[in-house]
Amino acid sequence: MPELRGSSGDQPQHVLTRWFGTANLHTIDVYESKGGYKALRKALFDMSPSDITNEVKTSGLRGRGGAGFATGVKWSFINRDAPGPKYVVVNADESEPGTAKDRYILENSPHMVVEGILIAAYAVGANQAWVYIRGEYDEPYRMLTEAIEEARAKGYVGPKPFGKDYPLDIRLYRGHGAYICGEETALLESLEGKRAQPRSRPPFPAVKGAWGRPTLLNNVETLATVPAIINLGGAEYAKLGTAKNPGTRLLTVSGNVRKPGVYEVEIGATFRQIIMELAGGPPEGRRVKVFWPGGSSAPVLPESMLDVTSDAEALAAAKSMGGSGGVIVMDDSHCVVEAAHRLLQFYSYESCGKCTPCRIGQDWAVRTYERILGDDGSQVDLDILQRVSDGLQNGRCLCGLGDSGGWVIDSTLRHFREEYEDHALRHTCNVGKVAVSA
Amino acid sequence: MTALSEHVLEEIRELPGRYPQPRSAVMPALDLAQEELGHLTPEAMSEVAVALELDPGYVEGVATFYSLFHLEPIGKHRLYVCTNLSCMIRGAYGIVDHVKKSIGVGKPDEVSADGLFSYEEVECLGACEYAPMMRLGHRYHYDLTPEKIDALVADLRSGKKESAAPVGVARAKKPRAPRKKKADA
Repeated sequence: MPELRGSSGDQPQHVLTRWFGTANLHTIDVYESKGGYKALRKALFDMSPSDITNEVKTSGLRGRGGAGFATGVKWSFINRDAPGPKYVVVNADESEPGTAKDRYILENSPHMVVEGILIAAYAVGANQAWVYIRGEYDEPYRMLTEAIEEARAKGYVGPKPFGKDYPLDIRLYRGHGAYICGEETALLESLEGKRAQPRSRPPFPAVKGAWGRPTLLNNVETLATVPAIINLGGAEYAKLGTAKNPGTRLLTVSGNVRKPGVYEVEIGATFRQIIMELAGGPPEGRRVKVFWPGGSSAPVLPESMLDVTSDAEALAAAKSMGGSGGVIVMDDSHCVVEAAHRLLQFYSYESCGKCTPCRIGQDWAVRTYERILGDDGSQVDLDILQRVSDGLQNGRCLCGLGDSGGWVIDSTLRHFREEYEDHALRHTCNVGKVAVSA
Repeated sequence: MTALSEHVLEEIRELPGRYPQPRSAVMPALDLAQEELGHLTPEAMSEVAVALELDPGYVEGVATFYSLFHLEPIGKHRLYVCTNLSCMIRGAYGIVDHVKKSIGVGKPDEVSADGLFSYEEVECLGACEYAPMMRLGHRYHYDLTPEKIDALVADLRSGKKESAAPVGVARAKKPRAPRKKKADA
């Protein structure tokens, strides 16, 4: 049994993770003993669907999957009164490098996710929800399946939850290994049994989503936060975090830190607090060289920017983003150019091939990195990298996968130009040769 | 004689009814086929297509898009070793080198001479706080070291079954219902 690495226990910022680590929290009895399913009951009997959506709007919750769109606003895009089926689709295809928080939630408290899904379905007028879960998540899949069965046995999932005449159902669909499925329209294609290639928008999923029907798509953590918002009230929840980016979120801190883990923090905590305090900082005698503040797609920041805060506005001002909350830390024993090369291999491999700039551009970048790292580079290659990076960005592709590769190149070049020049122009790598001052 | 057994085909034919539109059944169907054969042969994909009333080319198009569908034999046990950034900076490529030695292969997708093992370098598996890590036998293995790899491989070589139902995080053991004996039936 692996040890719990991350937040648990009664602390003000532990809105989601307070009871994590409690024995059998994954069972419905223990979850209910900690106040579970109270929010669903409240939503069904004390609130109208538009009350619920308004409460989520008031909370200021933004999607935790990566794009950070205002959740309540997204909910209000669904026409609740449109005839015919509507769906909630849950994005549990967590695959942004450096991100493990949805797994952490699903393994610790699957009922919290089930409760959030049911509230969302009621709010947008859907009777059926589909959870698209990545195929490699065997354990979360099993735990979510059991949680849904338990909720079904109690009648919370079924024709009359708590006696209310509003049928609610949750189904699971397993992914089969494709990063692109984290992108919402590619996920919908996959759910429909197709190759997962993003759709052009409009129409947006709220109008024409799963199986051509109005669909609300939310991330696991986003929905897991909904019960807390209903219990606390949106205004109370919004007191946490920053004024423009309220609440708490789960950050996965990985890489060269002494205590890697999934930490729930108030949004606005500095990366110095997150990396140096919560995660224990780099190993003895090492310094943080660079960190990715929001998954591998978030432009990198150097050590000198550890005091940047984790809210969307501060990160945008630093030319990066909060993304999926995957904080990857690399110390001064590693080469930034090699890391960027590995990530471009990733984006190249995962490109679905639909948009030419991404399909061709990511490959060009990989080949250029190979020349640079193979001591075969020159100034021309640095120029090519910059040009390829520009070609991947700014709306040239249907989804963000193209941009993401471009941001890796662009941000590492911006902050670590000297390391690139060492490789490309001087055919040397100075990593590890520099004396480390503790 | 079909590649897939009749009871699997029967199961596949029932899948479309579970989805708002029948096409969604294609991946669950390929799953069942792969579970029976170990990998997806052209015959198996054709039979899936016929059972679901789809074009075989379409089915193959889906199968080739997703990395968890295997179109070549992979041996009895597949090691999916993460080498993405969080694992890489904690030594994943050293783990890959050791995996090769331990299972006796020279490159990804090669099946060991005893037919038991193959490995693959995969992208982030979403367990970065336990890096370096891998997936093997429907469960995750954390904080990998050469010793851990050797022990896992030795266990499987000696015939130990892969665990089907992995143990989760922070969970007490559930009391197990007494198993029915044949005589009781």
